[in-house]
Amino acid sequence: MPDTHFYRYDSYDRTLVAERVEQFRDQVRRRLAGELTEEQFKPLRLTNGLYLQLHAYMLRIAIPYGTLSSRQLRKLASIARKYDRGYGHFTTRQNLQLNWIKLEDAPDALAELAEVDMHAMQTSGNVIRNVTADHFAGAAIDEIEDPRIWCEIVRQWSTLHPEFSFLPRKFKIAVTGSPNDRAAVRVHDIGLRLWRNPAGEVGFEVIVGGGLGRTPMIGKTVREFLPRNELLAYLEAVLRVYNRYGRRDNLYKARIKILVHELGVEKMREEVEAEYAAARGGPLGLPDETIEAIARQFAPPALAERPAIVPEVEALKLEDRDFALWLKANVSPHRTPGYAIVTASLKPAGAPPGDASAAQMEGVADIADAYAQGEIRVSHEQNLVLPHVAVADLPAVWRALGTLGFAEANVGKITDIIACPGLDYCALANARSIPVAQRISNHFAELARQHDIGDLKIKISGCINACGHHHVGHIGILGVDKNGVELYQISLGGDVDFGNTALGAILGPAVTADKVVEAVDALVATYLESRTDGERFVETYRRIGAQPFKDRVYGTVH
Amino acid sequence: MALFTEAGTSSILIALPYADWRQRPQWPAVALVNTDPVEELAPHVGELRLITLHFPKFSDGRAYSQARLLRGRLGYEGELRATGNVLQDQLPFMLRCGFDSFESEQKGFAEALAKARTLFSVVYQPAEDHRATAARLRLEANHFFP
Amino acid sequence: MAKNLNGELSIASANRLVDGVVVFLDDAGQWTHRFDRAAVARGERQGEILLERARAEAFGVVDPYLVAVAEDDNGALEPLSLRERIRASGLTFDAIAADAVRYA
Repeated sequence: MPDTHFYRYDSYDRTLVAERVEQFRDQVRRRLAGELTEEQFKPLRLTNGLYLQLHAYMLRIAIPYGTLSSRQLRKLASIARKYDRGYGHFTTRQNLQLNWIKLEDAPDALAELAEVDMHAMQTSGNVIRNVTADHFAGAAIDEIEDPRIWCEIVRQWSTLHPEFSFLPRKFKIAVTGSPNDRAAVRVHDIGLRLWRNPAGEVGFEVIVGGGLGRTPMIGKTVREFLPRNELLAYLEAVLRVYNRYGRRDNLYKARIKILVHELGVEKMREEVEAEYAAARGGPLGLPDETIEAIARQFAPPALAERPAIVPEVEALKLEDRDFALWLKANVSPHRTPGYAIVTASLKPAGAPPGDASAAQMEGVADIADAYAQGEIRVSHEQNLVLPHVAVADLPAVWRALGTLGFAEANVGKITDIIACPGLDYCALANARSIPVAQRISNHFAELARQHDIGDLKIKISGCINACGHHHVGHIGILGVDKNGVELYQISLGGDVDFGNTALGAILGPAVTADKVVEAVDALVATYLESRTDGERFVETYRRIGAQPFKDRVYGTVH
Repeated sequence: MALFTEAGTSSILIALPYADWRQRPQWPAVALVNTDPVEELAPHVGELRLITLHFPKFSDGRAYSQARLLRGRLGYEGELRATGNVLQDQLPFMLRCGFDSFESEQKGFAEALAKARTLFSVVYQPAEDHRATAARLRLEANHFFP
Repeated sequence: MAKNLNGELSIASANRLVDGVVVFLDDAGQWTHRFDRAAVARGERQGEILLERARAEAFGVVDPYLVAVAEDDNGALEPLSLRERIRASGLTFDAIAADAVRYA
């Protein structure tokens, strides 16, 4: 296995994944032979990543902390070709979904994944799910500590946890290592924020009970500062309180956010701290040596010294407007001078957001090998990231991504839409989301206009489960079904950026599919007319309130 | 309803439901539902010989926490029996949480129990079976990649 | 939206266990992927019988249920709900092909 700059499986990790595959292979055999009912089998397949959707089974492959080697990305492409229809969808939780998997093939697909140290364990079901992180981890300028170290530590502790495999509901944990939270920690069941206290020690703020969905809530701080070595003991305390007292009578009230809401944060804290105190000093304490051994594996690659200012790049910036816009939108500063972080936009105009063909995945893997230390990240916004690109290589990377259609200079702009799969794929959906995203994307495709509009995050969900994160979109769009007609409810002012977490407010009555683009046009027009210099869409909204937007949308539309 | 245990022998004591048992706490066998407060058993764990914990549905995981608290926090060493909707695919979890006997109607349960401890030779987290975790084995063997 | 199948037409559908493919119960009590071969029940009582039959043949499929359909003048069937139309006919946009390096 070539050297990677993130956690490398050892024989223990490999053995566990292999044994899990064999266990599942036998469970599938028994299901197909009728020895297990669907009710008995369902949690077993869910905790191996297999959903039954509208047309077929969907396999959700875990990409722990959104980090992949080029070899792993090539294997994903190969599995998509061999067992699926040759494309996949990168999700808001840094996983990959393949939509046309056969149950009878799933054990073989999982066995092939295991060859590159990948799996689909616990990507579904009422268990602790993939622990997500900041997609710029290990490269960002503002990072205090690499959050992925902790994601890996939590991943291991939570995998096949015997006490927490039948929780009231799913459980999602996110970790940020930077004050500019790119992991949306305040809308997770547990959010962990690494920070340095006045004594100079690095520890965690533990935030509990955030989440989107039917009852969106922002998480509450249960512990301001938790020493790093205590992380697993504390998490076990939170999970035990949840497992014991989380509601099991009502599917829609079963997340930990409801428990925190009903108990109140003081009582919740009391319960957690009491459980933690009773367990303190036990085998969950993390020895420094264990932490360091894992942290070492995330040590950043030794980057050769490269110039920070490159004449070729400067010249191209002046000559080629598309390159200049791409630098502005898709390239972020790296903590090492001479390097940059490149976001490959998986939102070409008119394309289903976040999808990539096998050929495109292989293309990105090649670019990563040539220019980015062989490493790729998956962002929460359904894009891919090349975290270590030399500034001098930016023109070549731009061109190479361009041949894949992944160089549209729209990251963070109006056509960088986040959309769940929606009713085209998902059995839970009430309305389609991908065609809506495609229409908006086509309408606003013109790049100069997009850059004039500036940062604007549209997030679309096809149902109240909010997998498209519409509650935290600057413009959120929620698909609903009324008497068999797809309608779209628009909300404004949601946010998860720059440490702000805000839930959007519904603007007014839902609109029909054919009016969504007009409505978005009206919102954009209102913003452009009202903004002060340098003000982003969401800032204008906060300043002037909903009324001007509402008047414009409903004056135009109805 | 058949009874399964690794040891091959199992208590024939009648376990009193918790509310009844509280009237007769000297009785050495109690049956808890998954909302009963296991902590209340603390003064009696030395005398209890059988505790049964209930799974109303196999997907209701509260009894796993009860089991771990009884074994780990309260130090209970008697027989800990799983009752209710007990299925073989949950055996690896139940064994790790400290259950040692099982009431199940499922076909093939005995065979599954015989194999359950061998399905996974690696565990990541400490539990009541006291198996060495991968983390501990790594420390002991200095098994890390540089 | 017709939740109540009173006096309306219905067919029985499920997903095939082994591969998740959408299937419909035909007149012979077999599961077919051909929507146009689905056995049609007219009215609530026939619907109940069709569902019972589907459940009796449920080995090899997951969770059979009734789908409300409408018939046009030529006797061609279409599901009433968008979800079921999508299930019967597939994605409403073009997915990218395996070897495509750009979305068409």
